[in-house]
Amino acid sequence: MTDDGLLVSARGLRRDYPMAGEIVHAVRGVSLDVRSGEYVAIVGPSGCGKSTLLNMLGAIDAPSSGTLTIAGNRVNGLSDREATLFRLRHIGFVFQRFYLMPVLTAMENVELPMAEAGLEKAARRSRARELLTYVGLGERFRHRPTELSGGEQQRVAIARALANKPELLLADEPTGELDARTGAEVIGLFDRLNRDGTTLIVVTHDEELASAARRVVHMRDGVIVDEQHR
Amino acid sequence: MTAALSLPLRAAIAFLVAAQSIDSLPPRHSPRSVAIDERLAADYAIRLGDTIVIAATPAAVGDTVVVSALVRRSRDPSEVARGAYRIRVHLDQLQRLVGYGDRVERFAVGTNGPTATDSSLAAIDAAAFGFRAYSSHEIAVESSTTFLVVSRFHRAIGVITIVASAIFLLCIMLLKVDERRRDVAALRLMGISRRTIVRSVVLESALIAVLGSIAGVALGAIVSAFVNWHYQRVYRTPLTFSLVTAQIVAIAVGISLGLGIFAGLLAAQRLVRRPPLSLFGR
Amino acid sequence: MILTLARASLVRHRARTLLAILGVAVSAAMLLDMVMLATGMRVSFGSLLLSQGFQIRLAPKGTLPFDTDATIPDASHVVRTLMARPDVVAVSPVLGAQLHVEHGATSVSAAALGTIAAVQGDYKLLTGHAPTRDDEIVANDALLTALGANVGDTLRVAAGFDPQLRTFTGQRTLRAVGRVHFIYLAAGERALAMPLESLQAIEGASRTDRASLFMVRLRAGANVESARSAIEQTVHTVSAISTETAIQQVEQRLSYFRQLAFILGSVSLAVGFLLVTTLVTVSVNERLGEFAVLRAIGVRRTRILEQIMLEGAVIMIVGAVAGLGLGLVTARYLNSILAAFPGLPEAISFFLFQPRDAWLSLGLLALCGILAGIYPAWRGASLPIGPTLREEAVA
Repeated sequence: MTDDGLLVSARGLRRDYPMAGEIVHAVRGVSLDVRSGEYVAIVGPSGCGKSTLLNMLGAIDAPSSGTLTIAGNRVNGLSDREATLFRLRHIGFVFQRFYLMPVLTAMENVELPMAEAGLEKAARRSRARELLTYVGLGERFRHRPTELSGGEQQRVAIARALANKPELLLADEPTGELDARTGAEVIGLFDRLNRDGTTLIVVTHDEELASAARRVVHMRDGVIVDEQHR
Repeated sequence: MTAALSLPLRAAIAFLVAAQSIDSLPPRHSPRSVAIDERLAADYAIRLGDTIVIAATPAAVGDTVVVSALVRRSRDPSEVARGAYRIRVHLDQLQRLVGYGDRVERFAVGTNGPTATDSSLAAIDAAAFGFRAYSSHEIAVESSTTFLVVSRFHRAIGVITIVASAIFLLCIMLLKVDERRRDVAALRLMGISRRTIVRSVVLESALIAVLGSIAGVALGAIVSAFVNWHYQRVYRTPLTFSLVTAQIVAIAVGISLGLGIFAGLLAAQRLVRRPPLSLFGR
Repeated sequence: MILTLARASLVRHRARTLLAILGVAVSAAMLLDMVMLATGMRVSFGSLLLSQGFQIRLAPKGTLPFDTDATIPDASHVVRTLMARPDVVAVSPVLGAQLHVEHGATSVSAAALGTIAAVQGDYKLLTGHAPTRDDEIVANDALLTALGANVGDTLRVAAGFDPQLRTFTGQRTLRAVGRVHFIYLAAGERALAMPLESLQAIEGASRTDRASLFMVRLRAGANVESARSAIEQTVHTVSAISTETAIQQVEQRLSYFRQLAFILGSVSLAVGFLLVTTLVTVSVNERLGEFAVLRAIGVRRTRILEQIMLEGAVIMIVGAVAGLGLGLVTARYLNSILAAFPGLPEAISFFLFQPRDAWLSLGLLALCGILAGIYPAWRGASLPIGPTLREEAVA
């Protein structure tokens, strides 16, 4: 984070990639600043580039051009190894399809990023337990993903994303696979996370989730067309 | 050109074995003629018409003879590993050279047919003292023991290879079919029957098995030709080491087809047994 | 954690894992058998030749020991010449012949060896004592059983037949004073041994002072090749063969088995390679989404690679250990087939297990497994995260 509280600073981000012999301009010169503690929703029709933008913000995808700074670190131009390490330490990611490891228990799934970061077993066990309790799964440590409902799986995924205390939490359609009631639970959890100080950027079609955010960024055809503050 | 050659006794009895001359000159009065192994001729640069000295031991004086024929080894498996040269000498000359007197090690007797063979065997055995008569068939069986052992060994290796191949094939087939379980699940959910899916997988396996069999037969034929070329060179023999017959091809193709189809059937059955949603991992 | 992930992934697809292990086990078994076949003959033949401590063998010039009926003249002179050498400790002359043996109404033919009991290296005494008098012999179980005779019984032997006189030639009445095991003979081959001079006398004038073979024992530390070469230059009627040369010549005659071993061993490795590649490829393809997510949450590519390789390694190791047992069983079976080669000494083994063979097979298989798995694993761990997640979502 910079002195003025700016956590994310993107300037002129572009992402082009070839598809079926043509060049697709998924993101076309997006500039975006996100302050620490903000709760931002990025909305737009399918194919407008919002997920691509999120992937760039999460250092999963490298921009074709433009600059991106997160927590004072220049992110564009990182090598694969550097980007992976950056994600491990600074970014938490929540996916639409949860993407938990089906062979691991809820506890082990949450421990995974901490193990990669080199945290000792006792410490990571303790933190995993703490996080699972925070997301409301205190009794389900030893359950495997196939033994959990969709909402429970997504909460485990959120706990995993928080494992290494990231500055930034990114979520791509986190309620996309959930029914309305479960989705509302997750929305409530995101709200709580933000009030507890987590910076959130979510990409969503879900109006409920978008309306829970403090700031909504509208995208169309790879560019930001509108912003609203609540 | 002269060369002194010692004559191990067994090697000298070669003249009793049927052979095929590849070239010859009319024998001369004196010195007497001999026929030598074409390998001996090649290795020591001996040509037709050359004179050589043959003796029973290196120190003996021996006889000067002229090479009147070159002999090619017969297609006798028992000769394959033998490196010894052979020369064919007139019987009386050999008997004199090795001090054998009026003795031979065996007679080969031609008869008029199987009945005559049996009666001759019985008559010779009854009259003989100190030797026995054998039919050519009995000799062939006895001298084939080595090759029976090798054949059994090959069969055992063949069986082990088939079993191993079956396991490998099953393994790979299960893996590859399993890879498509989501596709299968989607088809089942659409209403495509188990039977249709199984038939499709089995048909695919059969096609792969057919193509594999053709490739395998072609590869086997090439390798067989190479094996013959290689070992005929190494052992310097016209013997055929590897033979690809119609029966062998039929057996090989039959087994590979059968195994391929069976593996496909097993893999497909395993897949369609499970409820479609479980194939999606739900 | 990677260990946990790898173990859990293997257990998740039990049938597949077990089948893969079985496939690797079969591959390992065949590979082990072929490694054993490639080296077994050489090692067991070498051990056999050296079992009595004789490093050099002398055969009639141009022949291999007992390959022909030829004999070496002036045997006693040869012995004296050899014993005069400072590097020679013992010389055992051996004469071979085929005798006709009778006991009661039973008569059989048997191989006969004329030896000097004090230095002989052709048999091991089981009961009784070695023959020292010219009317004594020792025999093996195959001969005694065929004749229905025992140690202590009297046997009649003859060297040949005169068909004109219709009588045996070279007849003797001899007493069996011991039961022996002939080291270099095939199983079931009937044989007896007697003092060298006795056999020479039985065989007649053509065998006086002659031997079929001399076995030479050198003093410890002597250079075998130098001694062999010097002996061949000194004794012109013989070909001197060191143990190494004898092994090479036998190997050359039976080179087919080494070549077969090489070919089948290579095929086993190739099939094992194919199996592991397929297994890893399928396993990785199923989990592309998982790997993309792992990378998205910050797990390094090399860590993912480690996990995949670890899964492959577990299958290889478990399969290889199972294959070791299977390989030993099949080797025993195959050896029993080849042991039926006519004239093959009982002690020769085509499939001889040495721990080094197991390590070699394991090493080759492990290397093969690593090479087979590394490319699909690397590919799976290196796919672009975003597009992979998108494709997996669509799928």
